[in-house]
Amino acid sequence: MAEFLHYFPQALTFTNLLTLILGVIGGLVLGATPGLSPTMAVALLVPFTFHMDPATGLILLGAVYTATVAGGAISAILINIPGAPANIATLLDGHPMAQQGKSQTALYVCFISSLVGGLIGMVIMILFTPPLAKIALKFGPSEMFWIAIFGISVMAGLSSGSILKGLLGGMFGLLISTIGYSPLLGAPRFVYHDVLTGGVAIVPALIGLFAIPQVFALVESLGNKLERPDFKPEKGILFKTIAENLKMVKSLSIGSIVGSIIGIIPGAGGQVAGLIAYDQAKKFSKKPESFGTGNPEGVAAAESANNAMVGPSLIPLLTLSIPGSPTAAVLLGGLLIHGLFPGPDLFISHAEVTYTFIASLVLAQIAMCVFGIILSRYSYMVMSVPNLFMIAAVTVLAVYGTYSVQNSFDDVIVMFSLGTLMYIGRKFGFSPAPVVLGIILGPIAEDNYLKGKLIADTDVGVFSYFFTGSMNIIIILLCVASIGYSVYGEIRAYRKAKEAAV
Amino acid sequence: MKKDMIVSLVLLAGVISLYLSLGFMDDPRAANFPRVIIIIMGILSALLLLQSIFLKQPKSSEGAGFPFGRFFICFFMIIVYFIFMETLGFYLSAFLFFIAVTFILGSADLTARKAVLRVAVGFVFTGILFLLFKVLLAVQTPKGLLL
Repeated sequence: MAEFLHYFPQALTFTNLLTLILGVIGGLVLGATPGLSPTMAVALLVPFTFHMDPATGLILLGAVYTATVAGGAISAILINIPGAPANIATLLDGHPMAQQGKSQTALYVCFISSLVGGLIGMVIMILFTPPLAKIALKFGPSEMFWIAIFGISVMAGLSSGSILKGLLGGMFGLLISTIGYSPLLGAPRFVYHDVLTGGVAIVPALIGLFAIPQVFALVESLGNKLERPDFKPEKGILFKTIAENLKMVKSLSIGSIVGSIIGIIPGAGGQVAGLIAYDQAKKFSKKPESFGTGNPEGVAAAESANNAMVGPSLIPLLTLSIPGSPTAAVLLGGLLIHGLFPGPDLFISHAEVTYTFIASLVLAQIAMCVFGIILSRYSYMVMSVPNLFMIAAVTVLAVYGTYSVQNSFDDVIVMFSLGTLMYIGRKFGFSPAPVVLGIILGPIAEDNYLKGKLIADTDVGVFSYFFTGSMNIIIILLCVASIGYSVYGEIRAYRKAKEAAV
Repeated sequence: MKKDMIVSLVLLAGVISLYLSLGFMDDPRAANFPRVIIIIMGILSALLLLQSIFLKQPKSSEGAGFPFGRFFICFFMIIVYFIFMETLGFYLSAFLFFIAVTFILGSADLTARKAVLRVAVGFVFTGILFLLFKVLLAVQTPKGLLL
């Protein structure tokens, strides 16, 4: 906490504050735009931060990450399409409110609740991250190897409908990370073309896997008419809504606590947080029957939960390289291109950058609420941007972002090839998040596997080194539990579907 | 044939060919880690194949009505954009790509007013990129005939 307060003023410099505000406004607009996922928005921004000071670059990514989660609620409320999976629970009461002519009230409740949840989540993050990072200090190569595998298994279970496909995606990512020259032996691997000589860098992979499938999906959806936004301006309701919103103590508390707990669990994500908080707020309400018909308490619970998740979702990311959500996985890529490796070193050697980044996330929550309220009057305009413009703009930005990092046209080819392959993969039920995480964690897994093997060969043997020891066993059990839980969920869903078909 | 069956067979074929290619590596020790991954991928693909055979999958309507024409036009335009990017320069090619996409993919509802709007939006978009990245941040981009 002392370090946090010490570095807090760094986030308030003119450049950092301007970057933060621009990031928040951009994030709100991108989050509100139907058809653009927050993950893709952050992925597209990663290369642009490469030309910035590390702290400023991370502030931009953090601000966009924070604001896109809240911005996604705008389209959920106005046109019944969640901007991100985290906003699914928001539309249950948010859209009925808009249909009743209370769209602006719903948007205000959304941003105020997001601020409350977001700030509570940030306090949890500030308190728990440094002590957890100290635990990671005790990890050797075998533990780090299993941590990488755990990260992939968690993401595989969550982001795809099928655990098998999720794991295959993660393994495919690991395999892509081995393209190029072997780190220890210097021998070429899978270099079938000159383009692949340098391996697959993180930025082309991030942009290709998230942006290009989105471009083709937009091409597919051309001609589909979106629902007209239900927006009627209401006058003089701001202070009344703030007062009423802050009286929703029960919903805000449930949302913030559920969001913070779910956020710490790697991979659980804002979607789960929002839905559980909504369900609990409904159960504890005196009028549960009013939920789903336009009850602002439903919006408050869902939005406080999905924003409370933002801070805690970064705890496993900053300490163990395990992202809490696909967007956090992209953020991990952003850290790595600035030479910042998650773990205790982040809080010791790069304390200034790290704590400035954390401080900016707190400020981003406040800015998100202020600018969200200001922009909510004009938010319906974002829904009117034609997909044609999105297709052209996202493609140009994807190409530009990829090229600008290394001034390499080869990267552009790699980006487009991976993106096209991912688009086809998505048609077969594969998700980009495990692939990205495989590419990011691949070098960590291989490096620690090889180091561990060298130690093991001269000491206790490979099996004993990797499969014994309390920490190894705990992480292996977590991997098994993560995969087992996903398998159980799939079996249950399959049985339900079978029963429904009978 | 079921979707999962197709994908698992394609993956198995890929995994086998990749495994065989490991034998041609300059240093066999460099193949250790990829070999472990390929073996795991092989096992997972086989499990996916078994799942597709023994578990009944819900019928999916996806694929029906897929706009192949639009998809290939867009794909082709992106390739052409790449080819001309280094000759024309980044900003000019980006502007032309923007115009081409909005005019060709949106030809169905093209009117004189919309045409002017699309050119104007393309110009403003490319202009903002130029000001922000070329003038302000001095980021290097492919230089061509003009910009």
